[in-house]
Amino acid sequence: MSVPLSQMWTVATYVLGQKLRGRKRYPLVLMLEPLFRCNLACAGCGKIQYPAHVLKKHLSVEQCLAAVEECGAPMVSIPGGEPLMYPDIGRLVRELVARRKYVYLCTNAILLKQKLEEGLFQPSKYLSFSVHMDGLREEHDEAVCRVGVFDDAVEGIREALRRGFRVTTNTTLFDGADPHRMRKFFDAMMDLGVEGMMVSPGYSYSKAPDQEHFLRRQRAHELFSTMLASPKKRWRFNQSPLFLQFLMGRRDFECTPWGNPTYNMFGWQRPCYLLQEGYAATFEELLETTRWEQYGRRSGNDKCRDCMVHCGHEPSAVDATFGSWRGFRDSVVATVTGRF
Amino acid sequence: MSDEDRSLEGWAPEITDSATLAEVIDRAFDYRGDVTLVLADGRQLVGYLFNRNADVSEPFVQMFERGGDDPATIPYARIRAIRFTGKDTAAGNSFAAWLRLRQAAKADAGG
Repeated sequence: MSVPLSQMWTVATYVLGQKLRGRKRYPLVLMLEPLFRCNLACAGCGKIQYPAHVLKKHLSVEQCLAAVEECGAPMVSIPGGEPLMYPDIGRLVRELVARRKYVYLCTNAILLKQKLEEGLFQPSKYLSFSVHMDGLREEHDEAVCRVGVFDDAVEGIREALRRGFRVTTNTTLFDGADPHRMRKFFDAMMDLGVEGMMVSPGYSYSKAPDQEHFLRRQRAHELFSTMLASPKKRWRFNQSPLFLQFLMGRRDFECTPWGNPTYNMFGWQRPCYLLQEGYAATFEELLETTRWEQYGRRSGNDKCRDCMVHCGHEPSAVDATFGSWRGFRDSVVATVTGRF
Repeated sequence: MSDEDRSLEGWAPEITDSATLAEVIDRAFDYRGDVTLVLADGRQLVGYLFNRNADVSEPFVQMFERGGDDPATIPYARIRAIRFTGKDTAAGNSFAAWLRLRQAAKADAGG
């Protein structure tokens, strides 16, 4: 079990509370992007492609905290851009921890060791460094288009663990990923001592013919089935076991994009973390005026047909866990046995 | 070069009616570079157009002007022309382009 009991309890009581109130759409994890600037330029990343004057901007801590209060989600993920380049990241994290939000600081970890040595952060059960790792050295450095980043990240992870911080990894897999190499990667991350791992297929929307879309989804199922069919007991995943079963093709979930709402300098992003189809001025406006029926696989929207990413489907899995005794039982069984 | 890699950089479309204006605004919204808005009073605003909403009684766009701090909100009705004047920061950086590059690199390494 990789998620602390206190975090599990917080999430469970929060979700059950939403259900008791009859709230159909509720946020689970706020994706808070204080800036778009990054010290990597990974090919295929759509988050950093902005004019220089936009990349120089960032949200104030007060804007971030107002969004956190407005949203009300129990967990806050801070991606970007590279959040360790945000000038007020230390203060932002302190404020969020003081509000008892579970924070996942998503970083490439290039600056992690330096920031830890500067004393920017204090260990807390509310704070996890979620380090971007797309595989072993060769695969990761290729994915981020720079040699040496894997080693920097490992050094940052070691330093964070040495200082008593929670550390998880966050892995995006694309077409062509080798499941056997990934199994070695899981071993390597467990050897390092991380608390848990998160995996998700990359978002690969393109205007390709339907057959190709189908194969992409099918290939993702095959990849995750091969990787996770006989999971080692020592592997720990920092995500819902039902979501992993979904990736393996053993369950089907519809996307719940409001579960991981995104806030950045443009406002509340419609409809999700990956698609940018407009912005709402308030979280309420996002919930009330987004045409949710136009998104998700069943909508027939080309952009959603192949999507299986965690920001849309992990909240669905968590909702399913607490939505029925069967979902709860299946989650408990998978968690206890370590099998998916 | 695929359709999604083709850039609108330098495009200066003629706007002939309101439908065309909405179409051009949609293209400007998708564009990952600065645009120049020519307003009804002759003023020109240069910046990054990050939002548009045509589902309200007075449709509007929002942009971060180059050199400005806070976003500006401009009604559709005040826009006379849009020019795609800034560098397209997404050109050649699509996911499809990335896959092609990776495949080519692997083919080189194998060959």
